[in-house]
Amino acid sequence: MTAVSGQFRRDIEAIDEIFALLETFTDGQKIDDKTAFCINLVVEELFTNMVRHNEGGGDRITVSIERQDDRLHLELVDNDVEPFDPATAEVPPVDAGIEERRPGGLGIYLVRKMVDDLNYDYEAENRRMRITVTKTLEN
Amino acid sequence: MFEITREANGTVSLHGRLDASQVNNARAVFDQIIESCEIDFAELSYISSAGLGLLFGTQKRLVDGGGGLTLINLSPHIREIFQIAGFDNIFEIRD
Repeated sequence: MTAVSGQFRRDIEAIDEIFALLETFTDGQKIDDKTAFCINLVVEELFTNMVRHNEGGGDRITVSIERQDDRLHLELVDNDVEPFDPATAEVPPVDAGIEERRPGGLGIYLVRKMVDDLNYDYEAENRRMRITVTKTLEN
Repeated sequence: MFEITREANGTVSLHGRLDASQVNNARAVFDQIIESCEIDFAELSYISSAGLGLLFGTQKRLVDGGGGLTLINLSPHIREIFQIAGFDNIFEIRD
């Protein structure tokens, strides 16, 4: 199948169910291990970010992935939430020594470094956040 | 699936997938680390920022006391994550 989608409870413990969905897709599409690792990480970071920052949001978060030729398109949709653009997340000082570093802030940074494109859209009228990601497959 | 074991020589071995849903299981062992030791990644297939945060916090605590973690047997994918995160600057990493 070239696309899969699922709705998952707003709970960190739902990650295993999400990984199972992604594995169905990556196995079916014969996605290489490196890209499959990347997809898992990107979805986990974006999903956990939604869970943590949008307490009180809708019960379910929708995760979808689709392949179009050599490109993968990921989408996460969260309903009844406040806007949060991941592009505004603080960039951690990754070149600094441990004395200057603080915990946190790595998740969205990793996502941005590992994908080709990360887009954010917020529909104020129905309080819906949509994050889309494009990742080009390696040969 | 994730498992963490502490061997008699103090080495901590990680197995499976260390994601946000498993990080508290790992934390229970990492919080017991009070001196320099090795963390063996040979059987770890996946790690996300949740696991990186746990490693960072442990390293910070040990470095403050004059010690530190040595990370061994990282897969190429995990090693790349560490490089992107700048963790190759703050951990000793060996094959």
